[in-house]
Amino acid sequence: MKMVGQKEPNVLPGFGITLGFTTFFLCAIVLLPLSALVLKAGGMDFARFVEVITSPRAVASYRLSFGASMVAAIMNMVFGFAIAWSLVRYDFPGRKFVDAIIDLPFALPTAVSGIALTTVFAANGWIGQYLEPMGIKVAYTWIGITVALTLIGMPFVVRTVQPAIQEVQRDLEDAAETLGAGRFYVFRRIVIPTVLPALLTGFTLAFARAVGEYGSVIFIAGNMPMKTEITPLLIVIRLEEFDYAGAAALGVVMLSISFVMLLAINLLQVWGRKRLMVSR
Amino acid sequence: MSIALDQVTKRYQEQPVVNDVSIEMEEGEFFVLLGPSGSGKSTLLRAIAGLTGIDHGRISLHGRDVTHVRARDRGVGLVFQNYALFRHMTVADNIEFALRVRRMKRADRIARRKELLKLVALEGLDERLPGQLSGGQQQRVAVARALAHKPQVLLLDEPFGALDAKIREELRRTIRAVQRELGITTVLVTHDQEEAFAMADTIGVMNHGRLLEVGQPHDLYAQPATRFVATFLGAANLLLARQGADGIRFGATPVTAEGSEHMRGGREHEVVAVLRPEEVEVATTREQLSSNYIARGAVEEIQFTGALERLRVRLLDEPSAAQLLGSGSAAEARVEVTRTQPERRELPLRPGTQVSLGARRLHVLPTPISSFLACAPTEAEAETLAREPLLEGLSTRMKTRVSVRAIDGLQGTPVPFAGVAAITAGDHAAPTVEWLLKHGAAEVLVLPRDAPSPTRVYIHWTDEAVRRATLAVSASLLRHVTAEAVYLGIVPEGAQGTGRAAPMRKLLDARSEAQQSHGLEMRTELAIGETVAELTRNLSAGTAQMLVLGITDISDAGTAYRSLLAAQPGWPVLIVYRPPELGLRSTPEIAA
Repeated sequence: MKMVGQKEPNVLPGFGITLGFTTFFLCAIVLLPLSALVLKAGGMDFARFVEVITSPRAVASYRLSFGASMVAAIMNMVFGFAIAWSLVRYDFPGRKFVDAIIDLPFALPTAVSGIALTTVFAANGWIGQYLEPMGIKVAYTWIGITVALTLIGMPFVVRTVQPAIQEVQRDLEDAAETLGAGRFYVFRRIVIPTVLPALLTGFTLAFARAVGEYGSVIFIAGNMPMKTEITPLLIVIRLEEFDYAGAAALGVVMLSISFVMLLAINLLQVWGRKRLMVSR
Repeated sequence: MSIALDQVTKRYQEQPVVNDVSIEMEEGEFFVLLGPSGSGKSTLLRAIAGLTGIDHGRISLHGRDVTHVRARDRGVGLVFQNYALFRHMTVADNIEFALRVRRMKRADRIARRKELLKLVALEGLDERLPGQLSGGQQQRVAVARALAHKPQVLLLDEPFGALDAKIREELRRTIRAVQRELGITTVLVTHDQEEAFAMADTIGVMNHGRLLEVGQPHDLYAQPATRFVATFLGAANLLLARQGADGIRFGATPVTAEGSEHMRGGREHEVVAVLRPEEVEVATTREQLSSNYIARGAVEEIQFTGALERLRVRLLDEPSAAQLLGSGSAAEARVEVTRTQPERRELPLRPGTQVSLGARRLHVLPTPISSFLACAPTEAEAETLAREPLLEGLSTRMKTRVSVRAIDGLQGTPVPFAGVAAITAGDHAAPTVEWLLKHGAAEVLVLPRDAPSPTRVYIHWTDEAVRRATLAVSASLLRHVTAEAVYLGIVPEGAQGTGRAAPMRKLLDARSEAQQSHGLEMRTELAIGETVAELTRNLSAGTAQMLVLGITDISDAGTAYRSLLAAQPGWPVLIVYRPPELGLRSTPEIAA
């Protein structure tokens, strides 16, 4: 091909087209609906907006939503790491099977998981009937909500951490061992720091997923206002009352809090990666 | 003794990857473990470090038995090929890692770190992250880190593999200087013979999990005992020559070579000789050679490599060419020659030029197995036998060849046999062995159809006179198969009291001789009963077994051991025959 009168070609073929397409897509399916949400909320006057988002019922729901999501994401981080570690490091019978099962919460309609969990944890359920006499109520309390959020967030942590663990070279552990380090010391000083960025990513994903979760929670939550009502549910209730502006206002609050938290975690990660990856 | 390994064996799924390795390393010695990939050298290094458990044997560091001591308590420093630096820690933290583990005071830690960084010439880079350093610098950090806790032993696992030539050179010098300064016993694992030569006080060459030879670089190069070491350490032309009372003949020409020793009491036999490319003299005519003439040849290829010129020369006369061992068939074998620039200027050559070749120095390998000769009633059957997997595998690994010969009807007086004769197993085997031995063959391999490569080789001899030869042949064989060696001593039933002590002593003598003279590590077992029955019982006890049997009486093969050679499905049996009077007089035979 002749290059007469052409600009020097970019090293990436079709860079312009791909960039345009990406931007368009991002606008059409992410930014546009979100802007619509903010616009909708802007329909009401400011005093009313403040009143809606600071109503005790709304505040209680934020606390529950973000609190339970945070607890669930932390649990996922711990147990998801343990699962990923076993899957990568140990060869046990049925390993492939377990590996496949991890993804199930991805594929299941969340309502199904919700119903399943309720069956198990209700006062007369498989596990619930034994917990009940001990005074532990799971279904219809914040604990149940956390359990549901943990279930649906688990795959995110396992799947992001798995490749990172695979990458922790055995040599590193061997080196540390010859230098005199014990197992626990190696784990704390070598393994965890190496896996940390991936672990944080998994945490972020699980957290984000939990905050937005609706389907599985409503079955196990009991949905008592002020007690077990999550923000997404409150939004649906507002919608059913045809209070679109009120729903949008709550949506904007969720959006803002989520954005700030995710941004914070991402920045933390970027900082961590930089430390680790310089000119690798 | 700084590091002592005693019969160290490590198996993966029943396959020995480190096979009966015994080494003793001196205090402050720089020891290089050299071998191709998969030879077990890295596994051995990891075993010394304590990162890999061993199945058998003992490891001692400075007199302390550490076989069952954990890696972190062994006090070794280990450097990896991929550096294995902790990427999330600064250079300072990496180096201080071992000191922190030991809860050393901060001031002492810093002092030690500065000292180490100075040692590896990286002062001032304390706060860098490994990712900000070049490969060579990273490996220096790894060396400093490995030395931080003042280990008694430094282990280096292919530390230069990932570096380019120039940096490699520089780092080699640094490591050697550091090692000399600290006087620390060091083991380096590498597959690069040049690196081994450049750094080692002592080189140990490994192949197939076995330690083949240990020695100083120059000795190993000039006088290798095994063909593997001869060809792995530098380039080598391997020639089949005949050694008789009057010296060595190559083809039809006698060559009086230096360094050849008399073996087997003057009986003429085939030997393998090493001719280094730089020891080949090239001249236009035979008369112009100042060294022993070996053959006429035509220059086929000329390669310029800077300081040296490399030639490949095709031998012109058929008999000589057939005696040249090389990769592939005899027709493809070429003599490799290297010439210095002054030599090149004196006699410029072009491809196609006909030249005379001379050998300035020939080293005869003390190997009892020079080549194989497949013998069968017809030539076609012999060809089939030559393609038996075990025979083909052995000859390939030994870098030798399998010739064929029809021995129809065991009639007449055949031309002398060269090398190990091979025949098929079965009812005819016993008389054939007898006939072959009578007509000059010294070793006969009796091979059942499709016999697998053995995993265990039993060694037995009927008479002490043939012990040396049997051990030499066994050692030579075992260097080329991944099998364990077991000497089977057999005491007749009913032998009581003093009758038992003698066989036990024989057993121990055999083991120490195998180890000392032939570098062969073997286990010993004592069986009580009738010889053939006990041999059969042991051979039948497992799969893929083989027997090396030393005899002094030709008729033994035809009578006593008849059933052993005719058994179905049978085992490969390598019979080593030495006439009793020769066996007794023979000077030390060292296997290769």
